[in-house]
Amino acid sequence: MDLETLLSYEWSLMGPEFIIVIASVILTLLDLFLPKKFNRRMLGWFAFVAVLAAIVSLLGLLDNQVGSILHDTFRLDSFAKAFKLLLLVGSALVLLLAIDYEPKEGLTEYRGEFFYLFLTGLLGAMIMSSSGDLITLFVGLELLSISSYILAGLRKKNLKSNESAMKYVINGSISTAITLFGMSYLYGITGSTNLNEMSGMLRTLTDPQYTYLLGLAFFMIFVGLAFKLASVPFHMWAPDVYEGAPTPVTAFLSVVSKIAGFVILIRIMVSIFSSIPVGDGTIPMLFDLQDFIGFLAAVTMILGNVVALRQRNIKRLFAYSSIAHAGYILVAFTAMSYVMFDSIWFYMLAYVFMNLGAFAIIQLITEKEGSEDIGHFAGLYRRSPILAVTMAVFILSLAGIPGTAGFIGKLNIFLGALMVSPSHYVLASIMIATTVVSYFYYFGIMTQMFFRPAAEETKLKLPAGTNAVIIICAVATILLGVMPQLAFDFLQTNFNQFMDFMG
Amino acid sequence: MELLNLYQNNYLIVFAFLCLGILLPVVALFAAKLLRPKYKDIASKYTTYESGIEPFHDARVQFNVRYYVFALMFVIFDVETVFLYPWAIAYEKLGIFALIEMLIFVVMLLIGLIYAWKKKVLKWI
Repeated sequence: MDLETLLSYEWSLMGPEFIIVIASVILTLLDLFLPKKFNRRMLGWFAFVAVLAAIVSLLGLLDNQVGSILHDTFRLDSFAKAFKLLLLVGSALVLLLAIDYEPKEGLTEYRGEFFYLFLTGLLGAMIMSSSGDLITLFVGLELLSISSYILAGLRKKNLKSNESAMKYVINGSISTAITLFGMSYLYGITGSTNLNEMSGMLRTLTDPQYTYLLGLAFFMIFVGLAFKLASVPFHMWAPDVYEGAPTPVTAFLSVVSKIAGFVILIRIMVSIFSSIPVGDGTIPMLFDLQDFIGFLAAVTMILGNVVALRQRNIKRLFAYSSIAHAGYILVAFTAMSYVMFDSIWFYMLAYVFMNLGAFAIIQLITEKEGSEDIGHFAGLYRRSPILAVTMAVFILSLAGIPGTAGFIGKLNIFLGALMVSPSHYVLASIMIATTVVSYFYYFGIMTQMFFRPAAEETKLKLPAGTNAVIIICAVATILLGVMPQLAFDFLQTNFNQFMDFMG
Repeated sequence: MELLNLYQNNYLIVFAFLCLGILLPVVALFAAKLLRPKYKDIASKYTTYESGIEPFHDARVQFNVRYYVFALMFVIFDVETVFLYPWAIAYEKLGIFALIEMLIFVVMLLIGLIYAWKKKVLKWI
């Protein structure tokens, strides 16, 4: 390839990615060469500015037509733009939390590493969201995974953190192996790694025997990716890893990593498995296997919500709650209604704000008390009324009470499940029932905060970054709950119903 | 249909090798049992064979973890060379694009080396 063809590609499409990768390289070198007494929190602000710059650069690209570089290995369509925006916003908020993070034994030696590993993880997630080729999708997945394995074990002297990193690596590599095996079947049958070419090739398949191989590939990829979503059958790592990992990393795993998991799932499933004809050739394979995805979604919701009832550790409780939320989003994915993209995007937007807001307060309190018991929330209303009220907003939103963003998100998914024919009545009713179950443990935290007497009456000191996160998240949660059309209008004007996803 | 048969036949070879792998030790040990003279019950027959030397201390020895880190570093830069050779040979055909790709690759590894150096991996304490 000569220089002219190389320059003919529109490299500006990759602007956000370039910003992130350059920032992480600079951070690495700075962290290595700056003197020991230099405050590494400055590096965190540098990373934060880089993420903001990437958001600005992405907003500048919103009007662009679909573009691809190097035979679709990088592909910027509206799906990529919409979800990349979520990833970047979530990461910016998590970075603010990370700057203020101060565990009991200190983090001085590794604080710099935190920020650049974080950026490489984000880069992996961004690559996953805008790629039309199995190889780059997989490389992005691995970049995100490997960065987060190290991040989970960042508290080197902490036993729990070590345990969580070890469990994460082992579970993660098993799931990756399963995904890769599934992908190998797809490659073996189609002879290509480009998603468009694969779907074109699969459309012409007539031999029913291939269907079995492809079904096998479908389940392997789905089960493998379930690890990133923390959904059944690969959910058991979540509570242990969430508990042991440093709190900002937990927030990263439960928000950014989960969004990235859904992005790659949708990208692979919708572009490949919706073009495989099964039976008499009228319905695509993805619709034929809907019952199985629906079953997994139902089990995920039930398990996440029911097991959360017994948790006393706040981070474990939120791990199970995040499993349950993955189940809700899987309901939207099962239904495959024409509003699927919109409802999943909106739910994730709401989830970014409500979950990160809650994690900001969790980080504040667990750090202060040095333990993660739910009892430390007792009397929060007395100690800091504003904090208690904002936490209540996040919890109400997570539970899906009207007036908050979480309610609108759930309503959309619910309506989506009923608007298709045949309607998924069972799935929708399981979603309602498990939501009611979730009230029990969410409101348990509320009772602690408002009705239990405090063990101590000391005021809580709010660092600036955490404060900003709490304010932004609370405002966004209520605003999106009262005026959801803000987000939907943004989707309509900029992304045109994701029409350019295929082809 | 043709393609599918071809695809499945490839797995036949895997199956054949699997059978061979299982049969080989079974047959070899069984044949040895048939051929060898019946041995008497001697205690030293049950010990580990160590080239005729009396076995001493535990078989599980701990090595310094630094060997592992050095081995890892070696493998990384070994693989880099493996990638550089074919690139250097086919340089004329690959052109400027491969040159830029290689530069990125080498610079990334260089950062890795700097990281290892600053983290005192290269120093044997």
